[in-house]
Amino acid sequence: MLIGLGFEYPLLVGLIGIGLLVLLVMLGVRVVFAAATIGLLGLVELIGWGPAAGIVGIVPHAKSTIYALSVLPMFIFIGFVAFHAGMTTQLFNAASKWLGWLPGGMAVATVFATAGFAAVSGASTATSAVFARVAIPEMLRYGYDRRLAAGVVAAGGTLATLIPPSAILVIYAIIVEESVGRLLLAGFLPGLVSALIYGGIIIGWAKVRPEAAPSVGGATWGERFTSLPPLLPIVAVVFIIISAIYQGWATPTEAGALGAGIVFAVALFRGTGLRPITASLMETAKLTVMIFSLIWGVTIFVRFLGFSGVAEAFTAWVVSLDASPMTIMICILLAYAVLGMFMDAIGMLLLTLPVVYPAVIALGFDSIWFGIIVVKMAEICLVTPPIGLNCFVVSAVRPDIPLPDVFRGIMLFFIADVITIIVLLIFPEIVTWLPDLMRN
Amino acid sequence: MFDTHPAAGGSSLVARADRRLSPVEDATNFVAAIFIFLLMCLGIAQIVLRTVFDTPLSGYVDLVELSMAGMAFLGAAYTQRMGAHIRMELLLSHLRGRGLWAAEIVGALVGMGIIAVLIWYSGAHFWRSFELGDTTIDAEFPVWPSKLVVPVAFSLWFLRLSVQLAGSVRMFIDPSRAPEGVTLMKNAAQVAQEEAEEALAASQDGKTDGC
Repeated sequence: MLIGLGFEYPLLVGLIGIGLLVLLVMLGVRVVFAAATIGLLGLVELIGWGPAAGIVGIVPHAKSTIYALSVLPMFIFIGFVAFHAGMTTQLFNAASKWLGWLPGGMAVATVFATAGFAAVSGASTATSAVFARVAIPEMLRYGYDRRLAAGVVAAGGTLATLIPPSAILVIYAIIVEESVGRLLLAGFLPGLVSALIYGGIIIGWAKVRPEAAPSVGGATWGERFTSLPPLLPIVAVVFIIISAIYQGWATPTEAGALGAGIVFAVALFRGTGLRPITASLMETAKLTVMIFSLIWGVTIFVRFLGFSGVAEAFTAWVVSLDASPMTIMICILLAYAVLGMFMDAIGMLLLTLPVVYPAVIALGFDSIWFGIIVVKMAEICLVTPPIGLNCFVVSAVRPDIPLPDVFRGIMLFFIADVITIIVLLIFPEIVTWLPDLMRN
Repeated sequence: MFDTHPAAGGSSLVARADRRLSPVEDATNFVAAIFIFLLMCLGIAQIVLRTVFDTPLSGYVDLVELSMAGMAFLGAAYTQRMGAHIRMELLLSHLRGRGLWAAEIVGALVGMGIIAVLIWYSGAHFWRSFELGDTTIDAEFPVWPSKLVVPVAFSLWFLRLSVQLAGSVRMFIDPSRAPEGVTLMKNAAQVAQEEAEEALAASQDGKTDGC
């Protein structure tokens, strides 16, 4: 009957495939199985068993042994080892020495300390957990509002995904076949802008309610400068990756390897034992398999979509809509916001981008810019109900701060995130400037 | 990401199979971890050799690409046991008893079906490469050992899925039994609690950082 409505047969099969995929994923089938299974069945229907099975047998190995992807285990390893190298307290100490004098200074310091640590660790939730222990007691000691203290820790963790090294930006680059290096560079300024907007909104709020977020002065310049040297490894990792990509003296994988080596050396130097290092390696291997499985599983599905023509049809439909590209973009972002409430960011991107991305490009948006925006949207979902994992984590570390208080505390930063998205929509140059500079 | 694997202490067939399989999975995941560690060493060596001595390793990219099979596949069964292959738990988290185990059975069956197909056809992919004596373009390393990793690792994955299927069927028959050989779901609060504990443990390790 649908054929009667004007759908061509492959397109119809494609749409049914998408429907079945959504059904399986909703039922709780692991995404890699659901995507690969529907991909295989769809290919069989469209091109027959022999060619379909041939494609499916090749994809896992072919798609997983691409040099550009080898940066992922390096970035993941940096993150797990960074935790054992334990730089959090020093980072917070330095940030509060330098920024404590501002209105709401301790909260501003927390933003930059979490941003710095999250950048290296790459893990939002874990960063929030650590800083809930390090920063919240300090803020409470100075009489900070507990909701603000909890909110800033939960929100600060989300800055992880934009500042290099960022695994999720690598994944985006691989799916849409963009340059990994350019995406990593592109994330840096928006990450910084996000942190600055967080800081700005805290200062503004502290001006209105100085008693709830007092400034903490008294650090001498001597104290400030002696607080800096322990931060060198973190600065070094971010600097190495940006400079290697920008100046081209190493590939992202090599830069990641060097960064991992530095963090690893620091961990050894600080007396980290063999057991936590082995555990970090095992965790790294596990997460690597998880991501690679998703990539080849979704690739099998994408091969099927390619034969069905769904992405082309969706693009044609979106372009024909009687609405401005910006309106459509805002609708797409809102859809991601809803989806992100229920799904892991990596799974969400892998499943949706094959269809959404070509349409976004056809509307005239920049591919790198869209990557940054989408990843930022996915991060916002880490702090909004109902899942809001970062908020759960903060409340778990500090049982004295109930979950509703953390969610209330996060409101300020949710507003800041919306401002950031609007700023990036109006000034896409913040995203594209650095990677364009590299190209020239 | 929200799952856990309880230690199987029981004497049922499922528990025994689970105990047999787990050390093998730990070992293969550890080999994958070693590959990752070597990738780090190789990357650093390559930077030093190229920038300091101006003599980069020839065949570096080929070597990395071939070894990536080790990182991408060897830990698949281990990751399955840990419940770390992502899925959406919106519906699952509301299911209890038989309903939950029925969903787990469907999930395991779908997984076994596709992995079985993949074992066969990735095996064929390996065999072609072995017979033709395929090599990489640049350094002319043989490709077949890397391709062989896929069917081998997937076979182990298939075994793990069989254990999970058996464990789920066992629970479906009698949901009051103690779970064995299956992954159990945790809600967001439990995950948060564990993340928090892990992070605390990790920062205790780095306690020398003078707090």
